[in-house]
Amino acid sequence: MNDRRMLGRFGVCAAGFLLLAAGLGARLAFLHLGPHEARRERLDQLRQFHEEISGRRGEIFDRSGPGNILAMDLPVKNVCANPSVILASNAVASVASQLAELLSLDVDAVAVKLNQPGRRYVRVQRFAEADLAAQVDASGLPGVYLEDSNVRHYPYGSFLCHVLGFVNYEGGGSAGVEQRLNNDLKGQSGVMEGRVNAFRQEVYLSRGLYEPGREGHSVELTIDRQVQYIVEKVIDGLMQEYTPMGAWCIVQNVKTGEILAMVSRPAFDLNKFFEADPQVRLNRSIGINYEPGSTLKSATFAAALNEGIVTQNTVFDCENGAWYYKGKLLRDAHSYGKLTVAEGLLKSSNIMTAKISLMLGNDRLYKYLRAFGMGEPSGIDLPGEEPGIFHPPSKWYGISPTRIPIGQGIATTALQVLGIYCTIANAGYRMKPYVVKRITDPDGRLVFEAQPEVVARVIRPDTAALMCELLAKVTEEGGTGRRAGIEDMRVAGKTGTAQKPVRGGYSPTDYIASFVGFLPADDPEIGIIVVADTPKPVHTGGRVAAPAFAAIAVDVSRYLGLQIFNADVATSDVVLPD
Amino acid sequence: MRRAAPLLTSIIFALVVLGLVMLYSTSSARTVTPHFYLQRQASWLLVAVLAGVLVAYLDYHVWQRLVYPLAFVTILLLVLVLIPGIGTEINGSSRWLRFGGMGFQPSELAKLLVIVGMSVYMSRFGHRSGEFKLGFFYPILAMGAVCALVALEPDYGTTVMVGLVGMAVMFAGGTRLFYVLGGGTLGMSFIAVVVYFNRNRLGRILAFLYPDENPVQAYHLNQSLSSFYLGGALGVGLGNSIQKRFYLPEAHTDFILAIIAEELGLIATMLVLLLFVGYFLCGMTISARAPDPFGRLLGFGVTMMICMQAAINMVVVTGLGPTKGLPLPFISYGGSSLVLSIMMSAVLLSIARTTLRSDEGTLRAIKDRGRHV
Repeated sequence: MNDRRMLGRFGVCAAGFLLLAAGLGARLAFLHLGPHEARRERLDQLRQFHEEISGRRGEIFDRSGPGNILAMDLPVKNVCANPSVILASNAVASVASQLAELLSLDVDAVAVKLNQPGRRYVRVQRFAEADLAAQVDASGLPGVYLEDSNVRHYPYGSFLCHVLGFVNYEGGGSAGVEQRLNNDLKGQSGVMEGRVNAFRQEVYLSRGLYEPGREGHSVELTIDRQVQYIVEKVIDGLMQEYTPMGAWCIVQNVKTGEILAMVSRPAFDLNKFFEADPQVRLNRSIGINYEPGSTLKSATFAAALNEGIVTQNTVFDCENGAWYYKGKLLRDAHSYGKLTVAEGLLKSSNIMTAKISLMLGNDRLYKYLRAFGMGEPSGIDLPGEEPGIFHPPSKWYGISPTRIPIGQGIATTALQVLGIYCTIANAGYRMKPYVVKRITDPDGRLVFEAQPEVVARVIRPDTAALMCELLAKVTEEGGTGRRAGIEDMRVAGKTGTAQKPVRGGYSPTDYIASFVGFLPADDPEIGIIVVADTPKPVHTGGRVAAPAFAAIAVDVSRYLGLQIFNADVATSDVVLPD
Repeated sequence: MRRAAPLLTSIIFALVVLGLVMLYSTSSARTVTPHFYLQRQASWLLVAVLAGVLVAYLDYHVWQRLVYPLAFVTILLLVLVLIPGIGTEINGSSRWLRFGGMGFQPSELAKLLVIVGMSVYMSRFGHRSGEFKLGFFYPILAMGAVCALVALEPDYGTTVMVGLVGMAVMFAGGTRLFYVLGGGTLGMSFIAVVVYFNRNRLGRILAFLYPDENPVQAYHLNQSLSSFYLGGALGVGLGNSIQKRFYLPEAHTDFILAIIAEELGLIATMLVLLLFVGYFLCGMTISARAPDPFGRLLGFGVTMMICMQAAINMVVVTGLGPTKGLPLPFISYGGSSLVLSIMMSAVLLSIARTTLRSDEGTLRAIKDRGRHV
């Protein structure tokens, strides 16, 4: 081997290497500079994470403000699993059995959930309790992890359930205030974006976008927790005593239209809203149209007095309880002869009311009843309000002018009927009812504050004052509503006992019993309506609803300071020890 | 020639510095203690520089005398590393001997042994290298024994490297091209058979050939290529690689070029390629000018070893060949590789220094001792 041959062989190797290097250079250029835009974008996307930060939903308070929380968001953990990881580690059976034991679930159901190849996310249990979540976290099961979430919590369960409403699993308010004010209450979810390493952990300082979630607005209701409690207790008592199909009650401030309490029975636990039947979830106070019966007479009397057609002393012949009009018999509950207008209201005479209505005429009757709010929604800030059923005179039947004034052939909601009495109590000014008092943002700034709103002026103040006086007599001895009377305070009101309409006529056995009124009669502050659907064994408004009205009136008037504390009652019959 | 040695030193310096920077950038993103790998590599660098200076200042003929002790030590270590309990097994291969927290790969030493041994042998029997027995059979047998030990670890990448460079030295030393090619074919067939019966290795080959049908095995390669795509011409910026965050396996060792590609772009990968081409040219120049056949073959072997290893590493990282574990000299993390790379480069510098002194007439003409054996 001589040197020249060796150098020649060096050259061969060198040429080979340089050829290889040239190839590598070309390959590098291709890899770096080739048309890889799409690949680059896809890689960037794969190495990104995008996470929504849920904004907490606002809280709901009663009228006393943040002290009384009625609805709130609680941070909770969802137990989740990544089936592809669990399947890859061949541990479906063991993970399922351990999870099922921890969370008290059915093993097979959990195993079915976990045994889904190709899926990366299943929720094993929503809203796990804190200590269970901690145990799951500590168990270190492969592919099992916890997810932050918020759950809507109602500390008082079924309390005020129909007004508050609830939030569905997607976080949307689905009834009541939660639905109506969903846009205010719901938080604004934030966004987090950044890069992740291969274990999907965020890379330090790679956060591209961070917008924190924003808490929703808080809502203060006009509802008074104490008044609501009093009313719920009384209505629950009524439900037990008379086993009606349903009962509902509203307490309203007559001067402002604020709703202080609104109850509907049957009720449900808001924290288990999904177990409740739609019929149970129905807010009967505003969601049921019923024939109001005698409670509507006051509107007719007020209209006639306001028009000057009659005075309280005008005398009518009540036909001894049976009167034919257009071939149809109209009866009174008891037979009366000649009565003054004041007495007719006291005795709730159907015949007198019909005669007054005929004097008033269809158009004026319609105009007044519309002005009192019949046939249109009151505009209360709650979803699901019924407008009632009240046709214009052009669609009335022959006897309608004698039946509508006594509350037949017209359907109303309890809130509409209460509106008539609150209008009378408020010197003829009809106020718009509302349940939302104030909305504030998370920093405490005022977003909205409700102002009392006059919808209509229906009757003159002197007519209103006279009506108050007449209605106050209803609760005195001799009136149909004497059981609604309470000690030391004059109460005005009217009973209602309406047969329920059935196919082809009226039911002989089923009634809607109601009592609606306001107090104190001399300077009215609050209006109350109590309605019971098909109470048994007694069925009249005077026997079923009036006592409940009285029970509510006593406690609420004391609580609101309308009734002066009677020192004699508290101190009498007390024997002090020597 | 005068400039080849300083240029070579500068190239090595540039590669080592780039390596340290990129190692720090890559490894700090993967460990809790960010300086862990940098500190270790720096310690090894100190050892490497001391060894390198020593080797560079020794006359390279010392390796003729050291070949038997070197062979003894290397083979002893290669056997020791196979004994369970002494060798440390990582990912199914016993490649490491551990002492005092530092690991050492005897297979790196095998590279040096084969270069030195083959150079000594071929320069001694160069005049009869055309014969089958002396020129091919004996040296390939000796080299095969060393390769077999390395292959037993198993470390096929190094086996191929050692065999390839060993045969390149044989070829340069005069063995007939026919024998070399025949031997190479035999070796490749042997490796093919071994690979065929090893699912892990076969998977890598199949993943290379049919990446779409072997997504799991092709993951490594795809991640490597992704780094190049992401890097573009100028890179995403030093320290900004996302692939090093556990997407790309072996990012700080065998695949560190991919991270260089991602962070610094085509500019840097092309620079690395050009630096190795420069290394090759300097190395070949120094070898060709060496005063005796031993020096020429030794220098040629060293140059081929460093540059072919770099080239094969780049072939693997850029997806031109199946995945195998070969570090990029001077840059990848790994103490034994760094020390041996610098020591071998120092041999080149030693050759250059000797050549220079002989050209200046300060050294007596070296007899071609091979002829008298």
